[in-house]
Amino acid sequence: MYDLNLRVLVPYLPVLGWGAVRTLEISVLAILLSFPLGLAGALMRVADNRVARAIATGYVETVRNIPLLVVLYILFLVLPLYGIRINSLTAGVLGLAINSTAYTIEIVRAGFAAIPAGQYEAARSLGLHRLQMLRLVIVPQVFRIVLPTLGNQIVSVVLGSAQASIIGVGELTYQTQSIGSSTFRYFELFTIAALFYIACVQLISLLWRLLTGRSAHAPLGT
Amino acid sequence: MLASGHLANYLLLLLKGLAITLELSLGSLVLGSLGGIVFGAMRSSSTRALNTIALVYIEAVRSIPFVILLFFVFFALPLALDLDIPPYPAAIAALSVHCSAYMAEVVRSGIEAIPKGQWEAAASLGLPYYRIMRHIVLPQALRVMIPPTIGVYVSTIKESSLASIIGFVELLGQGMAIREANALRGSADVLVAVAFGYFVICFSLSQVGRYFEHRTTRELRPATEPTMRAIGVVHGQLKPRAAP
Repeated sequence: MYDLNLRVLVPYLPVLGWGAVRTLEISVLAILLSFPLGLAGALMRVADNRVARAIATGYVETVRNIPLLVVLYILFLVLPLYGIRINSLTAGVLGLAINSTAYTIEIVRAGFAAIPAGQYEAARSLGLHRLQMLRLVIVPQVFRIVLPTLGNQIVSVVLGSAQASIIGVGELTYQTQSIGSSTFRYFELFTIAALFYIACVQLISLLWRLLTGRSAHAPLGT
Repeated sequence: MLASGHLANYLLLLLKGLAITLELSLGSLVLGSLGGIVFGAMRSSSTRALNTIALVYIEAVRSIPFVILLFFVFFALPLALDLDIPPYPAAIAALSVHCSAYMAEVVRSGIEAIPKGQWEAAASLGLPYYRIMRHIVLPQALRVMIPPTIGVYVSTIKESSLASIIGFVELLGQGMAIREANALRGSADVLVAVAFGYFVICFSLSQVGRYFEHRTTRELRPATEPTMRAIGVVHGQLKPRAAP
């Protein structure tokens, strides 16, 4: 029988803790980058301009069909070949943001698609021009529709952030592995890491539900 | 610059990697789908114990990054169980577990998307439970489940690229090996080619999903459009964890 030994890991706890902080840090940065970009991209996807639509669609389709790890490798290993110096932290955040933006665009686009045509017609008949219509009538409703789903996107960024360890970002998964390679307490370490991620994800889901619960149930403009 | 002969060799290696990625994914998708059906059925059963077990399994797996799951199977389990797990079975096992949890959610929401009236109507015709399931609910649920299933499959195929970090040489592993061989280190070709390989597999699969999605929404428009939204099918992508 395997004997569990957690005492060996006590001196490493601060390192794990800082790893967890870094995990949250890169996740938050990636989300802060990708949500506004996702809104912008979604506006491009529903724009009348054909070129804008094509660019946004091309971006979404490309990024969503390539593994995050490949995106991270390309940023970290290929960009320097073209003289762009990039450290692992920047590459990690950027990779996560690139990935998350594509999914956010799709989520927000679905929100736009869910707005009844009558809302556009009503806004127009009030004499609002396009920008006013979007800002005052459409986008607020889109927010209400997509907010619950954006919570899932936050979760998937946190889960994806573990892959940043592979290009050397010192977040939780990275620290777990490096401590494991010197102590060989892989079982305990990965269990701790798994529990951290579970707690994190469940907490985010819960908080997001509480935070957006009201708007999620609010009736759509009919 | 490379001689074209070398390039052909590398291309061959990459194609081999692509085939191995397909093989790895296929195995995991089959196992994962079977597991997903079992856990999904448990999750929609009225037996409390089964329901709870399935809920805990699904939530736990979906809350753990796939990297951790893979490392757990590859590094931690061999120590804990005192046995040797080579990269290939480790990757298949981790991918299947990952896929099964997401598939379970698809199966559950597929079954739940069928309106209660269908159950009641079938029951009032005197059909027993399994016949209601087999003849009424499942055929309708399967149609609703196709697009999100494709979404789960695409994401599982993408996650399979992580098998390369435990030393299993699939498409990405092959690409990295070619890079390591120094020949193409100075150029972007290999990784871009790898990305293109994944794109081709995943994009074709998504297109299949989109075709089915259009078909189901057209055929079943009044009944399925709200339910499709309820289970979060948007362009063949599964939106998990949506709180209704």
